Amino acid sequence: MSRKENIINIKVNEKWCEFSLDRDITSNMTLSFLLREKLGLTGLKVSCDEGACGACTVLMDGKAVLSCLTLAVQAHGHEIITIEGLAENDPVVKAFSEQCEPGYGTALQCGFCTPGFVMSTKALLNENPKPSLSEVKEALSGHICRCGCYAGIAKAVLHAGEKLEAGGKKS
Amino acid sequence: MKDFMHFNAYSVDEAVALLSRYGGNAGIIAGGTDLLGKMKDRILPSYPEALINIKTIPGLDQIENKEGMISIGALVTLSRVAEHPVIRKEFTALAEAASRTASPHLRNMGTLAGNICQDIRCWYYRAPQNRFSCLRKGGGRCYAIKGDNRYHSIFGGSVKAGCFAVHPSDTAPALIALNARIITSRRSISAETFFNVGVTHTTALSNDEIVTAIQIPTSAQETRSAFLKFALRKSIDFPIVNCAASITQKNSMVMHARICLNAVSVVPRRAEKAEEALINRTIDETTADEAAVAAVADAKPMEGNAYMVPITRTLVRRAILACREIHGG
Ligand code: SF4
Ligand code: FES
Ligand code: FES
Repeated sequence: MSRKENIINIKVNEKWCEFSLDRDITSNMTLSFLLREKLGLTGLKVSCDEGACGACTVLMDGKAVLSCLTLAVQAHGHEIITIEGLAENDPVVKAFSEQCEPGYGTALQCGFCTPGFVMSTKALLNENPKPSLSEVKEALSGHICRCGCYAGIAKAVLHAGEKLEAGGKKS
Repeated sequence: MKDFMHFNAYSVDEAVALLSRYGGNAGIIAGGTDLLGKMKDRILPSYPEALINIKTIPGLDQIENKEGMISIGALVTLSRVAEHPVIRKEFTALAEAASRTASPHLRNMGTLAGNICQDIRCWYYRAPQNRFSCLRKGGGRCYAIKGDNRYHSIFGGSVKAGCFAVHPSDTAPALIALNARIITSRRSISAETFFNVGVTHTTALSNDEIVTAIQIPTSAQETRSAFLKFALRKSIDFPIVNCAASITQKNSMVMHARICLNAVSVVPRRAEKAEEALINRTIDETTADEAAVAAVADAKPMEGNAYMVPITRTLVRRAILACREIHGG
């Protein structure tokens, strides 16, 4: 029979969390609201709130999805990773923070869009560790950076790929 | 967002039973990318009391390559359609249309079935808080006729609703050009008759009917198809005009042609005159041009959208040329 599930279990950054419907969450609550307002994971940002900017991107079962267009109840049984779930020395995080290059500039100015770009980059590099510039542009084309750091962002992603490769060789 | 009951359906029958229980006051949710945006902005005067999640129905997420056709389940996402090797090779127009829809994130979430069931994007209709209560919301007038209609129909309004809002899907024209059938919980409808505009609907689906699969017949070996889209941005943008063509040639002569336009009319529109202009002829610049001119011969642009006519003509010409036989092959 169709069920109105009352207990929602979501794995957030490696930890299973249990929520009870109506007490902790409501059916109309988005995943972005749950993560930010209930769990305090404020790295992801909600900007357009309708799928047009990518600022709210998180990983769901390894795929980049928009948390503003995902109902919290529908994350039941799934695994979510937010920017807080990445290690401090994560190669992608490092590549974004180090990016500063004449001709390309920085990968961020205000930083509002960065967590979203970083999460999409994680998803991209997991599937394709050595993307070409056009593959990078395509994979990140659902994101908007109001500060216009696109060239720097693309460079950072390519550098992150190189870092991953170098790291892989060492180990 | 207004609150609603949320149900997980575990079979198609269950989803249908829930829909009939709510008698038109329930909605189906799969990818949710169109529905949730609409619900958040409160564009409509009333909202579903219940949402029925069909992502929990087993088996609807399959792409099956069967004898003589391919069947794409209602839960198959646009990214899977775009990447599927058989679809790319044999149903090229569909793979191209899926890969040009929205953005990678939205393609990971949104389904092909949802893409053809999506609602119109008319900016009066979509204005938050139901600001313009137009014909499509049970109101008395269409605001686009005298207002800003740069993205509206160049082929007249819908007879039933008197509305000029275009159908925004990229995959719909590809499915029509490829002669697809839409399989629902109760019947099989040709893609061409599936799109049906009334005051509260854009498809022929009844209140208690859901799409379960999309089937496309395998076409003759000599058939080639293509999809082209014109939009202002390359990503996350709806088409200004798009065009799909599927053309079968034998000894360099066109045997069959199906050409479909979208975003230029209230429903996806077969360019039948262009198809006729190609039959028994060889595709070259001249025949493609003639067919393209025929495709827009009966266009009736509104005050703000005459610019769409030459774009449509160009896309038809290019789509036909893209289906040209590869010589020496
Ligand atoms: S075009 Fe249709 S949806 Fe837009 S204002 Fe007119 S009636 Fe409403
Ligand atoms: S906030 Fe989710 S895409 Fe913009
Ligand atoms: S760094 Fe400011 S929006 Fe991207």
